[in-house]
Formats: sequence, C-alpha cells, structure tokens
Amino acid sequence: MIDLVVESLDLNALIAQIDLNAVLARVDLNEVVDRMDLNEVVAHIDLDEVVARVDMNKLLARVDINQIVSRIDVETLVKNTDLGAIMVSSSSTLATEAVDQGRSHAVSMDDTLARWVSRIRRNHTGRAEPPELPNTPEEP
Amino acid sequence: MTAPADADAGLPEPVPSRVGISRPAPLGDSLQPYLPLSTEETENLRGQHAGFASRFIAFIVDCVVSIGVFMLVLGAASFAASVLTGSSIHWSRANTWVVVAFFAWEFLYYAYFWTASGKTPGMVLLGVQVVGQDGSSVGTKRGLLRTLAFPLSFLLLGLGFLGILLGRDRRALHDVIADTAVVYCWDAREARLRSLAREGSSRQP
Repeated sequence: MIDLVVESLDLNALIAQIDLNAVLARVDLNEVVDRMDLNEVVAHIDLDEVVARVDMNKLLARVDINQIVSRIDVETLVKNTDLGAIMVSSSSTLATEAVDQGRSHAVSMDDTLARWVSRIRRNHTGRAEPPELPNTPEEP
Repeated sequence: MTAPADADAGLPEPVPSRVGISRPAPLGDSLQPYLPLSTEETENLRGQHAGFASRFIAFIVDCVVSIGVFMLVLGAASFAASVLTGSSIHWSRANTWVVVAFFAWEFLYYAYFWTASGKTPGMVLLGVQVVGQDGSSVGTKRGLLRTLAFPLSFLLLGLGFLGILLGRDRRALHDVIADTAVVYCWDAREARLRSLAREGSSRQP
C-alpha cells in the first residue's frame, strides 16, 4: 500500500516546492556540529588524497607573499629571537657598530643643519628628488 | 617616524624632527647606544643627497688619510736619504718641491678614488658616494673635472660649499661644474637591524 503511494508521488516536484532556506534557517547548525564527532569524520578523510588533488602552484599564485611578509614585524623578530644573535655573530663587530653609529650621527647632524638653514631662510620647501643610483652594491 | 614601542624599550626616545630624520636623544649617564634612525628613515635614506656634516666629516677623514700618507712618504724618503747619503733631509713648507708634490699627491688621491668608484676612504667611512647628477657612475671625465674644480670651492672663500647647505639638491660648486652629486650609499636599514639584534642578544640569557 505504502509502496503504491510512494510510487505515485513525484518526489522531485515535492522537494522543488520546499523552501530549503526556510528549513535550514530553523536548524541549529551549531547543535548539529556539536553532536558530530569531528575526529571520526576527519579519520575517514584521506588527507593525502585531498592534498594530492590540490594544485599547489595555483594556490600559491593566489597568495600575496609580499603582503604576508609586510605583516611580519621584522624588527621585533630580530630583537627577540636567536635570529638577532646569529646576525650579530655573523656580521657585527665593534668596528661595524662604531661605523653604524658614526654614520647615524652624521645623518642626524645633516638634518639638524638642514633644519637650521630652513628656519633662517624661512623656506620649508622640500629637497630635490634624489638621483637614481647606479647598480653598485650597497655599503655594509 | 619613530620605531615601534617595543623596539625602543629601554632606550632614550628619539626627538621627532620636522624635516624627516630624527635627532638622537642625548645619551646622558646611561651610555646606551641610540637606535640609528627610524624604520622609515632607513628605508628612504639610500640615494638621498648627502648633507653638509656627512660630507665635511668625510673630507676631514680624507685630509687626515692623505696628509698622513704624504708625511709618511716624506719621512720614508728622508730616512732613505739619510741611510744612503749619510745626511738627513729636512722637509719644510718653504720647499717648492714639497708643495708641488703635495698638491700633485692630493690631485691624484681624489682623482683616483672619484673616477674609480666615486668614493674616497673618508666617503666609504661615512657612507656617501659621488654619482652623476642623473645617478649614473661618475666616470673618468666627470671625476677628473670634479677634482680640478674642487679647489675652486675653497678659493672662493669657501662660498663654493654654500650650495650644500642652501641648495635643494645639496650640490657644491664643483658638483655643479662636474655635473655630479653626492648621495648616501650605506644600508641604514641593515644597520638598524644590526643595532636591534645587538640589543636583543644582549638581553637574552
């Protein structure tokens, strides 16, 4: 009897008439998820196969590496990690330290002089555009 | 303009500057090194026209080096003469040959370094470099012309150097004549990271 009723029903037409959004809106998905044993679900997934299907080149092409790098606070990284110690041991000597500080002081004096001159002349116009440097290696 | 708060922890605060580069705070009794320039400053420093102080200090260093070498050579010549002939030679500024040799030596010193690399030893120390006004390397012609025009800036009672202080592109008279400019060429960003690394490694146990 039931079989006859089911056979006579057009289930596709019936489902088409149901507003699934309204049904889903009444479902507490959080509760559904809470009831699920995600570990068991994940255990059924062959992650190797999933990863194998991913086109890593295409994925990486969509990642803006520059943006990621720009979000890293390099200064904090250098200051608070062994990276700093490695840099010091590999590149820094007392002479380098003295030269760095001497140059920094000189640049600060340049700026001070420029400020004084600007005040005396009451001229606050900016400096000229710097020339483009030749492709020479930078001074250490 | 200043570095992040963490980076400056424990160090004197740099005094903010209106025209771009912060002055170091006085060291006082702490004897702690200040962080050389801020992040923005270090990123923009290379290629900027060098200021009067950097150039003047570089010139003083060059004077010490070139005159020191000249005196050493004179001393060596005097010693060799005393060994070979038994009589010592006393050089003085009244001796025309000494004066001529001195100016020739100074010309060779600056001409060689400017034409070869755009950097004298003093300039290497201060991290500045002579380049063409368009940013190209100096080259032999401009290097020689700059060396020849260099004394002019002195001979005009030093007025030739006023352009470094007053000009928009900080060029002295000899720069204008030779179509050159002097720019910073040191990696200030790297220097800042080295400074932070030193600070960090000194704090770690």
